[in-house]
Amino acid sequence: MSDVGEVRGCRIPKDLYYSVDDHTWVRLNEDGTVTVGMTDVAQNLAGPVLHAKVKKVGLTRARGKPIGTVESAKWVGPIKTPVSGEIVEVNEKLAEDPQLLNRDPYGEGWVVKMKPTNWDEEVKDLVTGEEAVEKYREKVEREDIKACDHIE
Amino acid sequence: MEDLEGKKILVIQTHGVDTPTRTYSPVYYAIAAAAMEMDVMIWFTMNGTNQLRKGEAEKIELKPGSGVTLKTLLDQALDAGVKLSVCQQSMDLWDMKPEDLIDGVKILGATSIIDLALEADHVMYF
Repeated sequence: MSDVGEVRGCRIPKDLYYSVDDHTWVRLNEDGTVTVGMTDVAQNLAGPVLHAKVKKVGLTRARGKPIGTVESAKWVGPIKTPVSGEIVEVNEKLAEDPQLLNRDPYGEGWVVKMKPTNWDEEVKDLVTGEEAVEKYREKVEREDIKACDHIE
Repeated sequence: MEDLEGKKILVIQTHGVDTPTRTYSPVYYAIAAAAMEMDVMIWFTMNGTNQLRKGEAEKIELKPGSGVTLKTLLDQALDAGVKLSVCQQSMDLWDMKPEDLIDGVKILGATSIIDLALEADHVMYF
């Protein structure tokens, strides 16, 4: 993937939509569902993830509600969905190997797939492309977030 | 697993700065419960009260060199929506006045804790 922005070593693929304040990303799939995950910046802030608990298929979540929780040695917190909708698939692999979130946050470390219920409106509050990279750059610099570590 | 959203957890912390290794986990569990959408309060009493004095929690580091202090966790707890409250009577024992407390802590009396314990779905006592 060539079109990836970078902020202090943290990767920001430009084809995704982001909720920068919640450190989440959304990919719009061809079948109308969306895939949601945590960003590279989020995995870096959390450090190596020890446990990831994801909500169940069939659950409807409003924007901003947790779709799961993540814990590391120094941090525990929710992953908040940037879009409202029904969870139609969860990444079962995270239970076995939570550090997929660290190693491949935009790929194998995805969290849930959802059927969005208000995408056309909610997408207006997300950022993508170069704008996403710039928004992230502002946040990382404003909050002086440390450079991204990538574990193998 | 049933959905835990809205369940009430009351964490009672009786340990303070004199026993640093006993201070972290209760706060961490409270943050975890809040992340799981529960309604969480930590009640600090007995020796637990003294960690809420301004400047004290910063001195307790989770792991030497980690840069993560008890204050980091207390701030995380407040950000996560955990309510922090302290026993009024125990503040007297430590000669603490309301202005000595870190921001975000509510002072409650003994009868309140009994009400809170009765209302909670679960009480965790440390």
